[in-house]
Amino acid sequence: MEKNSQPAIVIVDDEEMVITSIRAFLRLETDYHIHGFTNPEEAVKFMEHQPVDVIVTDYLMPRLNGIQVLARAKDLQPEATRILLTGHADKQSAIQAINEVALFQYLEKPWENAALLLVINAGIERARLIRALREKVSELDAAHSNLKDVQSRLWGVFL
Amino acid sequence: MPEDAGSEVAELQRELEAAYAQLVEAHKMASLGRLLASVVHEINTPIGSILSNNEVILRSLEKLKQQLGASRIEEALDIIEIMKSLAAVDKIACERISSVVRGLKTFARVDDSEWRKVDLNESIRNTLKLAGCEFRRRVVVETDLADLPEVECLPSMLNQVFLNILVNAGQAIEGEGKVTVRTRPEGDCVRVSISDTGRGIKPEYVQRIFMPGFTTKPVGIGTGLGLSISRQIVVERHGGSIDFESEPGAGTTFHIRIPIEHPRPAEPNRS
Repeated sequence: MEKNSQPAIVIVDDEEMVITSIRAFLRLETDYHIHGFTNPEEAVKFMEHQPVDVIVTDYLMPRLNGIQVLARAKDLQPEATRILLTGHADKQSAIQAINEVALFQYLEKPWENAALLLVINAGIERARLIRALREKVSELDAAHSNLKDVQSRLWGVFL
Repeated sequence: MPEDAGSEVAELQRELEAAYAQLVEAHKMASLGRLLASVVHEINTPIGSILSNNEVILRSLEKLKQQLGASRIEEALDIIEIMKSLAAVDKIACERISSVVRGLKTFARVDDSEWRKVDLNESIRNTLKLAGCEFRRRVVVETDLADLPEVECLPSMLNQVFLNILVNAGQAIEGEGKVTVRTRPEGDCVRVSISDTGRGIKPEYVQRIFMPGFTTKPVGIGTGLGLSISRQIVVERHGGSIDFESEPGAGTTFHIRIPIEHPRPAEPNRS
């Protein structure tokens, strides 16, 4: 993903109306790319190919629940920030989400747009920082192995 | 004196009936109470959408004003499209809420405790609106409702029977499954069959499921009164029948038959 490209947000909810509402809000307030899915399996498929900054998912859905979706997202794109937006507020699912998929935020329905945007923005920043850090580390690795290479060639000359 | 004894028996009979009516009412309220969490969840999603949309529409109008002022027509048209999509969502959201509320109303109505001719398909649909809140995303409901003659019944009580059996059906299903509701005219009766793909009833429980107080559910989930009250309402109040077929591990079907004409003599005299 290019550093300055527009953030990509995935929204998963089996209720079309939730996706439409959030999409409209984000379209009005931001220039993010919004990808909405009513079918959680399609969202997972999407993340196999497309880099994503933030994923916001409902909990109770047919076939895959929100935690399963986030677990798949974590495998596919560990840097992407994971947010659960649920109308099914129970402590057990919250704890499971935090422990199993390293959740970034647990939000409840009905949600507050301003708060949702703050969380999404923080999530984007976090995802991009982690990606940048990864890049720097791999650059460092490359430089390091370059140096080693030079060093061993130098030794070769002297010994 | 035998006459005194007679009136005393009648008196006790009346008291017993009144107590039983209270029990039925209390059980109905308990069932509704247990459904409440799912009902709230069912209503929260559309409310969340409407609240968000309202805010977004207000912000959109502001932007629209600016853009029209600056003659940025393309962007203005874009915003109008967003607003149209939100208005469409609001309509669906309101319909969803009012459908659940209609379902609740059919149970809260006290004036419905009189004998009335009703289309049982309508009762089934209203009851499914409530039971559906509990099923959503986990249990698929299939309906196969034939044209029915109107049935003379106590609608509120029959709704309670349907709700009891539908909730049981949902609880019998672990994970995902299917509940099927079928209605058929059958001679001088109407038959309502409710099937689930749940765990079935163990053979050793078959004899006892209509007994008051019998339950295999954990404390706080089942009172053990649902089926005994249902049987009482169907058999004693309506002169109908209730029976079931069950295969452990495969599912259960309950058949409820209600006579189209209410058999007058069966109605207890109240003054």
